[in-house]
This record gives sequence, C-alpha cells and structure tokens, in this order.
Amino acid sequence: MKILLAPLDPVHDAGLKLIKRKLEALGYPCVLLPPDITVEEIGEAALKEKVEMIFVGRTVGYGVEQLFQRVKEVLTRQGVLGKIRVAIGGMAVNDELAKNLGFEGGYGPHTRIEEIHALIERNPELARHVTHPVKEKPEFPFPHDYRVIIPETLKYLDQIVDGIMDWTADKTSPGVRRAQITESQLRAVKGSVETYTALPFTRDYLTQCDQSVADFFQKNVCPPSARQITQDEVAAYLRRIDIAKKYFHPRVLQHDRKTPLVFIQYGTGCPMMDGMHIKVVESWGADGVLHFDPAWGARTEGLMDGFLTNAEDGTPVTYANLSLIKRSLDQATLWTVRAHRGLNTPEIIVLAGFLGADMTKINIGYGSICGGTDPARLTVDGVEAIRIAVRHGMPFDIPTNEELAGVPPHKAFAGMLIMAQLGRRLGAKPILKPLLCHGPHIMVQGLMDQNYVDYNFAKIRALQTIADFPIWPGEPIGFMTHDEEKVKSAATTALHAAMCASLGVDAITTASTDEAFSRGPITSAGRAAALHGIKETFRFFGETDIAPSPRVKGWTEQLIQDINRTLKAVAAAPSFVDALYAGLLGNKEDGVYPGRGGKNSVVTATAAKKSGHWIVNSIAVRKKPVRAKSSRPAALASRRCR
Amino acid sequence: MTAAREQIVDAMDIESFVLCESEKEAKELIAQLMHSMGLARHVIVSLDFNGPGAHFRVRAYMNKPGDHYTWLRK
Repeated sequence: MKILLAPLDPVHDAGLKLIKRKLEALGYPCVLLPPDITVEEIGEAALKEKVEMIFVGRTVGYGVEQLFQRVKEVLTRQGVLGKIRVAIGGMAVNDELAKNLGFEGGYGPHTRIEEIHALIERNPELARHVTHPVKEKPEFPFPHDYRVIIPETLKYLDQIVDGIMDWTADKTSPGVRRAQITESQLRAVKGSVETYTALPFTRDYLTQCDQSVADFFQKNVCPPSARQITQDEVAAYLRRIDIAKKYFHPRVLQHDRKTPLVFIQYGTGCPMMDGMHIKVVESWGADGVLHFDPAWGARTEGLMDGFLTNAEDGTPVTYANLSLIKRSLDQATLWTVRAHRGLNTPEIIVLAGFLGADMTKINIGYGSICGGTDPARLTVDGVEAIRIAVRHGMPFDIPTNEELAGVPPHKAFAGMLIMAQLGRRLGAKPILKPLLCHGPHIMVQGLMDQNYVDYNFAKIRALQTIADFPIWPGEPIGFMTHDEEKVKSAATTALHAAMCASLGVDAITTASTDEAFSRGPITSAGRAAALHGIKETFRFFGETDIAPSPRVKGWTEQLIQDINRTLKAVAAAPSFVDALYAGLLGNKEDGVYPGRGGKNSVVTATAAKKSGHWIVNSIAVRKKPVRAKSSRPAALASRRCR
Repeated sequence: MTAAREQIVDAMDIESFVLCESEKEAKELIAQLMHSMGLARHVIVSLDFNGPGAHFRVRAYMNKPGDHYTWLRK
C-alpha cells in the first residue's frame, strides 16, 4: 500500500518524517510532500502518485477544526475523499475529532506507530499490545545463587545461624501456637475466606490472646481507631473494583532496562482505600505492593477478624481484609504482606500464605531492637515464620529500617545477613532490603554532605561484594531526602530510582510525593505523581549508568570490614538472643533498645506439652459471643457473632 | 457536596502562588480561599514564601481512611 504524507504547516513536518521512517520500516512505500503546500496540491499529488492512503499533518493547534473542515471540502471536490482513504494528525488532533469530521482516523502526539499501523490495516489487533497492554507477573526474586562470597563472613554467619537453630530448637511461644491453630483451621477449610471466618473461635486460640483481642471477639469492642466495614460497603467497593479492572491498561515504568521492579507500600488504614490506591499505582506502572499493618497490631497478642478499617496509619491484618486486597489486585501485581516485627509474625504469614501472597517480610533484628518485640520472643517466632514462609513458597525480604533510628548501616546489614543465611538454611529465598536513606548516622557522620549517590553506592556495592542475594532497596528509597513540596519529593524518589537502576538491583520500594507530609493520609494523586517521575527518569537515563566518585571504593571496603567485625562479635556472644540484648546489632547509643513486647512468653516445648497450651493473659471465654447491635457488619466479619 | 466531589478518591490539592508579604499572611489567605470554596477540612501541604509571595499546595480531604466513602454511595 502506497501512502502519501502531507504536512499542512509552513515549516514543521518532523512528525510526518518520523512516521515515514517507521512506515517504510514496516514495508510501506511512502511519499512525503514538502511543507508549505496548499490543500489542493495535496489532492493533486495523491491522484498523481496513485496512493491508497493520505496522512495529513498539522502541528499548530489553533483553528485546527476549521482547517480540516476545509481539507475535507477540497479533497471531496477533487474526488479524492471517498476514493482514497484520508487520516489526519497533529498536536490538537485525536481519533474522535478526525472521525467527527469524516476522516478515517486521527493521530496525536502520543499516538504510537503500532496504532497507525492498525489504522492503515484496519486491524486493531495490531496495536492491542500497546493500547491494551497485559503485564505478566514476573518470576521474582530474579535468579541468584544465594552464596556468601567472602569466607570470613560465611564463617561467622554459619556460626551464628547454628546457634540460632540450637537455641530455638526446644522453644515455642503463644505466637507460634496461634499460627499452628490458624494454619490447621485454614487447612481444614481449604483456605475458604467465608468458611474460615464463620468458624467459631476456639478456647485454645483465645487463651493465647491479649485482652483487647478477646474483647473484640466477645464484646464487639474494636480498637479506638477501628470500625467494622458493613456488607453494603464491601459490595459497593467490589463493584468499584470491577469497574477499575474493566478500564485497566497498565503502564510500564521501565524503559530499556527491565529492572528494578517498582513496589509501593500501602496501609492507609482501610482495605478499601488501600484497594483504590493499589488500582491507581497498578495503572500508573507499579509492579508490586506491600501491605503495612498498624503498630498496635504488632504489639498485641492475637489477630482480630472480619473486615476492619482503621482511621490511622496501617491496615489491620485479618484474613477478610487481606482477601479483599487480594481480590483487588491485578494478576500481574506482586503482593507482599509485612509480618516481620511483632507478636503475630508467624500467624500473619499463615494468612498471607493461604491467600497466595507472593512474599512476606521478616527481620528478627529489626523487630527486636526497633519494633518493640522482645528479642527472645521474636527469635522463636521469626524462625517459625521462615518455616511457614517456606511451606507456602513465599520468599521474604529483610528490611533494615533500624537505620532510621540511628543504627549504623554495618550493624543493620550484619543483622540482615544473619537473617538471609538463616533463611537459606531453612530453605527460603531471602531478599536483602538495604535502606537508602539520609538517616541519622549518615547525617551525623556527614557521609552525604556532598551528594546522595556515593554512600548509597558503597552500601549496595558492599552487599554485592559479600554475597549474591537479591537486593531490593527500600523502604522507601530516599527516606529522609523527601520534602513536602511535591516536585522536590517526586524528583528525589525518581533520582534514587535511577541510581538503583545503575546499581543493578532487583527491585525498589518507592514513596509517594506525600512521604514527608505527616499531617494527613497519603493521597492517590501523590502516588501517581511519584510514579510519573520514576517513569520519566527511567526514560531519561535508559541504560546509561550514574557514575559515583572514587570515594565509594574506600567506603565499600570500610563497610565490609565493619560488617565482619560486627558478625564476629555476634558469633562470639553466648547466643544470638544475648547479642540482641547486649546491643551488638544496635544499642541505646545508636538510638535503639531491646523491645519488651512478649517478654517472658517463650516457653520450652516440653513445658508446653505438659500444659497443652500457653496462658498469656487470663481471660474468660464465652461459648456464645454477643451479637452486634448497632452496626451491620459485613458477612465475613461475623465470626464472633455466631 | 456535588457529584464530582463525591468521585474524588481521597483529597483534592490546590497549588498556586499567592501574592503576600509574609508566611503568616499567606496562611490566612489560603484559609480564606478554602473556606470560600466550602472546603473546611483542609491542610497546607507545602508553603514556600519568598519575594513576591508564597508558592503553596493546600489539600482538602474528601475521604479519609475509615470514612464512609462518598464514592461508595449509589
């Protein structure tokens, strides 16, 4: 098919030149007319060249409708329109305008060659992969050999991990017991949300819970900031999600490089608001999402149930809430459920596993010295949590946000590497999650006074030198470099993303532009804005690397030395738990201290067998809990009302 | 509340530049602006006063997490 390309501008014809090059590459012979011609000359050229289709382009936007009206009249008078197919294009043209004016189609500045090809061939399928892209869920984490490369590091890690395995071998906790009960129940109901949530609570479970959880089930008392979601709300929400899915055309953030994958963390407090935010970020190109729960959820023995919304940060983990999130996700979206720092770590992983979450998050060190949980308790629960994650085929990431409290990177990284090696020993796929931040230690030491690039490079290079594990900086990247001003915030996130691409990491967790704004909830628009920035930055750099300064080498070597020195000290401690209590992975001077949540709740397995269960708080259990009065909770929230 | 407002997922931001002689005056003008538009539940996200006035972003929340969302009404 021969095609005529005709610019209707006095000088601008770059768009048509571009189209010519691409159409010729597709095998279409093209004739490009010079600029500054009349409409009559276009018609005459089309007849003379015996073309089958004409593309008329007009760059300047004003008066475009009247101009193309005249094009139509002239080409009709010449006998061209009707005999030869005509499409129009330009800055102010779209397909709708073109068709309203009686042309075959229209193209604008964002029209891709595939769409023009589809227009020429009258076959929308030729452009479907760009107009209606379908993302496939990547196999994540990407392949790594999970090998510790430096012998000295490996020696210390193996000593520490041996010690953890021995120390935990005969110990258990209420958190482990609840996870066992929940896993057993979920297995019995084959993971069905409806059936599980309708099950009556067992006395055994409630005796492992705090009073607030017992009150929830027995007296319908929610935490102060939480409320139940009604049946009508859930039904309306699911209709909204169906609409969002109907018009869902995911964007791709990456340009030439296929990595890093981009994750966002959600946890607005409400699973329905989370779901809407997830639909926004999926549409704007995010590859994955992470569930964040409220702080009180981590410090309470036991999980509540049903559809719960929270007016503060963090969305309560319940099987129903997670199932609602799961139903909201696109099939390509990677889903992580945070479990790492609290008293419900093993049970959360059970729930996530039965719902098919792709990954979870476990870090004994962080949760113990920064998350408020007793080191002994979290060591027992953390090992069990990894075992559960392995059973459900879930890799887990290991965040190091203790840097935000002031812990130096080498101590945080030592703790992370211990978790990684522990994970490998238990058959898991651990993911290193260094925090790229302008944290307190870095500020005090002036390590980022010159730029935000060099020290972050050193941190990642140190990890890459020590071991071949997946690396997924977070959480989010650029922590404490953000500003309340939206453009600055988007820029710092985007530039950190570009830096991570240069470093060859597997994935990143990114902030919204509201990261530094603390006087209200994060907004969906702020999430979209940050993703816009990342996409543009990936486009800008393509495969070009950011080059750090020579000081990175010295910092990298120093970090490796400091990590090994820390691991050596931990290996020499009576136990890993003792090392945590002693502050070897972060102490009060650094700004952290051992948590007290769940203190003295670890028991030996032999003691547990004698008693049958572990009493945390003495609570009276009613066989028939009271029925909800004022609210009409959603059907799945009615477990305690049976 | 109009139907359009009901479709806003969470919040509406207004960004502009207001001529003023101090940060305090900027805040007063922004509050006046938001009240005049019936957007009482608002918060200043960012404000940068310099020279002729202030570059600001102010946010009016339509739906906060935990609310009964307007976009779930029939």
